[in-house]
Amino acid sequence: MKKWLARLRGPRIGTKLALLGSLLLIVPFFSYRQVIEMERLLLEGQRNTQLLKAKGIATLFNGRENLFNDLPVTTSEYEPLFVQPLAGAIRIDGRADDWGLDLSRSLMTFGSADGNQDADVRMVLGERKGQLYGFVRVIDDRRVFRDEKVLRLDKSDQLRISFIRNDGEDGRIAFVGSPQSALTGYAMDESWRFAAQAGTPEPRAQAAMVETADGLEFEFRLPLEMLGSQRHFGVSFVDVDDPDSREITRITHTLPTSDKAGFDLVVLQSPEVRRIVDGLGYAGARILVLDERGRVRAETGSTPVPDVAINPTSYRDRLRSLVDPVRPILHFITTGERYDAGAALFSKSEREAREVIESALQGKPIARRRVLSEEQTIIMAAHPITSSTGGIAGSVVIEENIDTIIDFQRSSLEQVVFVSVTSLLLMVLALIAYAARLAWRIRNLRREASKAIDVYGRLRTPSLRSEMAAGDEIGDLARSVSGMLSKLHQHNTFLENMPRTLRHEINNPLNILSTSLDNMSSELPGVAGSKYLDSARRGVLRIGSIVQNLADAANLDEALQSEEMEIIDIAELLQSYVANCSISHPQCTFVFKGPGCPVYAEAADYRIEQMMDKIIDNAIDFHRANSPIKVQLDMHRDSLQITVANRGPILSPKAERTLFDSMVSHRAQDNRLHFGLGLYVVRVIVEHHRGYVRAMNLVDGSGVAIMVQLPLAVMESASTEQPRVAAL
Amino acid sequence: MAKTIAIVEDDPDQRANYSDAITSKGYRVQAYKSREEALTGFDRDLPDLVILDIILGEEVDAGFQLCRDLLSRAPQLPVIFLTERINEIDKISGLRLGAWDYLPKPISLDYLAERISSLLRINQARQEQQGEHAANIRKVGDLTLDQDALLAAWKGKRIDLSGTEFRMLAKLVRNPGHAVNYETLMNATMQSLVTNNTINTHMRNIRKKIEKIDPEFAHIKSEYGFGYRWVE
Repeated sequence: MKKWLARLRGPRIGTKLALLGSLLLIVPFFSYRQVIEMERLLLEGQRNTQLLKAKGIATLFNGRENLFNDLPVTTSEYEPLFVQPLAGAIRIDGRADDWGLDLSRSLMTFGSADGNQDADVRMVLGERKGQLYGFVRVIDDRRVFRDEKVLRLDKSDQLRISFIRNDGEDGRIAFVGSPQSALTGYAMDESWRFAAQAGTPEPRAQAAMVETADGLEFEFRLPLEMLGSQRHFGVSFVDVDDPDSREITRITHTLPTSDKAGFDLVVLQSPEVRRIVDGLGYAGARILVLDERGRVRAETGSTPVPDVAINPTSYRDRLRSLVDPVRPILHFITTGERYDAGAALFSKSEREAREVIESALQGKPIARRRVLSEEQTIIMAAHPITSSTGGIAGSVVIEENIDTIIDFQRSSLEQVVFVSVTSLLLMVLALIAYAARLAWRIRNLRREASKAIDVYGRLRTPSLRSEMAAGDEIGDLARSVSGMLSKLHQHNTFLENMPRTLRHEINNPLNILSTSLDNMSSELPGVAGSKYLDSARRGVLRIGSIVQNLADAANLDEALQSEEMEIIDIAELLQSYVANCSISHPQCTFVFKGPGCPVYAEAADYRIEQMMDKIIDNAIDFHRANSPIKVQLDMHRDSLQITVANRGPILSPKAERTLFDSMVSHRAQDNRLHFGLGLYVVRVIVEHHRGYVRAMNLVDGSGVAIMVQLPLAVMESASTEQPRVAAL
Repeated sequence: MAKTIAIVEDDPDQRANYSDAITSKGYRVQAYKSREEALTGFDRDLPDLVILDIILGEEVDAGFQLCRDLLSRAPQLPVIFLTERINEIDKISGLRLGAWDYLPKPISLDYLAERISSLLRINQARQEQQGEHAANIRKVGDLTLDQDALLAAWKGKRIDLSGTEFRMLAKLVRNPGHAVNYETLMNATMQSLVTNNTINTHMRNIRKKIEKIDPEFAHIKSEYGFGYRWVE
């Protein structure tokens, strides 16, 4: 465990920067929170404003409940059919495009529960200038139109209108005809079979019919005065599906169920209230005034449907499509709540609207956000109207579109996401680039710094080149390392020059000594033969040679540089060298074993000789008496190997490692003339020849071998040199 | 008349020792301790031979400058450099300036005296040679050595050798075909501290000087581990 910990060194710079960079992820987090907060604030402000407006409007009606009391019957036994006030003139052509209403919201559905079955009816009523208008959309899978030859009027698809006339009698009008010919309104008999007035059409009732893909659309008009003061009114659609039997398949009534009275109540908006409210309307808002039963008594303005025709290829839209999938995740991460898109709220919308109105009618002002569709969100504020008795007379509802807020929120969110993602990306890229560059610079510096000193600890270069101009800490590091190197270099130069300086400085006094001794021996005859004079001269010589050797070794590198290399036959050189060794060192035997062919290497011949001198000196010093010193030359594929082996004491492991270092001697202490320079000189020469030297104990432990490997010369022209190489 | 030997050496002990030794050999000695002093002395009276140290006081190449001055006045004047600066470069510069020889310290005074007398003799021989006098000339193949005038020629062309080089070459060709060992060659240099390396350097210089005249020259052969041989 401890070992493992000791090896743990911490992350690389790149990893650290990446970790730090990930802190940037909190930027979108906070931005999103801010957007949410701002949205909440804006909505809250909007809600309060709307509530205040509602309150203001409600104040206008406070204590004026009489404005709402123009409805004749206020009991709940009738179903109200609300009538929309119409702004412009209406052409009775079976189409509702001139009504200026949002049909999807204003159509009331009758028939089956879902309103999508055969003979189901959707209807909207309108009022303008004393005329009651109706638009009816009918689903009818088989349309059967009037046959002029059939006298009975109940034998085709038709629209019937029931009402109570001013005189208190039941009024019945049936609109019969076909899309080709105009519809005719007939006042009908009690059985709805024949026209009441002998087939004369009712001129005041007009209607038109259009056939659609899945049914029929009727548009009719009749004067409100036809209805009695009660304004009891009902519409029914008669569906005939079999063109042959022409029997009535189904009748769909807008009329209430049988337990209630046979008519609906046409509820018109109170003109007085409307007049008041009309002047208060403003763009983007709808103001509704409800009576205590929640019936709309006045309405003004409309919430504009937002412009959905946004160019789908626009930049913003594409951005939105990028942002939308991110939003729920972002929302969940930042707020911890599940993200509710508008669509999910849509189903609750109707119920919420009722809740808002009910709350206001119970005396509690309320403002709530309502989602109408995915594109449309409104705030609905409701404020109660108090009656003169202190009760609730009704309520004012203001609906205002908050799409601008939603839109603002959405676009700021998009911006937040976009800016965050872009900046994150840029930051990450910048960090990666920076980390890579930093790591590269440090690596470079490390490489150069470690190259500045070779395996022997010698300085190769007095300064660094990379990063020297950099102004940052790496530059400082480089400069300080470089400074260290140059100081080290100065010191090294001093050390290197020391033998030379020493020789220079010692040679002069030595010369004084030497010349003085000479003069002494010539001037004082008694001294001439003195053994002291001789030993003094020997001493002078020895100091001289020591200093000389030191200087030579120190200058060797430099001297080698000026050496001229030529291609020489190492085999011949060694052969003659070993032969000469036997003459120069008669006390030893030398054995040479060569490959029997020329071995060419690019070398300076007498440097090789000098190298051999040092190796052989070493071998002679260490060899066991009467054992031969073996010199062997081997040739490998691209190198030659000179091995000088002698029997004698073996090397210690430490000696094996440091044998070729300068000033390292493994000789006994009493050997005064050696400074460990010999084998150092060998190494320098070998390395100058791009070779390699090592010392090793013989396998049988009987002695030591020094092996020098040098590269073979590359023969320039193969054809002329072939005969010499062929002998290999 | 006794020959005049000028010694320029800044170290008083060495200067005194040289003076004593040379005076005792019967020469007249002018000893100077600086370049200016020497120049003033030479203006007065030009010596027959000059021994120069290279570094004089603070001036690191005062010896070279003096040599140049002297040789411009008297091109035949024998000049010996005697210095502790024995770097290759100094050697070359010294000889290129026209110095006759170049001796490293420490020096043996006997050798110095011998050299002085030999150089004076040689100088005289050279002057006398103007009259086509050939006394002690040795020919080995294409090599001609005038032992008295210390002049060597290869195929009739003069080889510009220093005194030391001439002596080594003479030693090498004394017995052509036979190897001459390092020790013999060392003795020929007449210097007290000589290594194999010094010999090798001298030999290489001799070879190069002859090769300058005759690129095909290959008569000096290394006897690795022993010495050199002159091959016919």
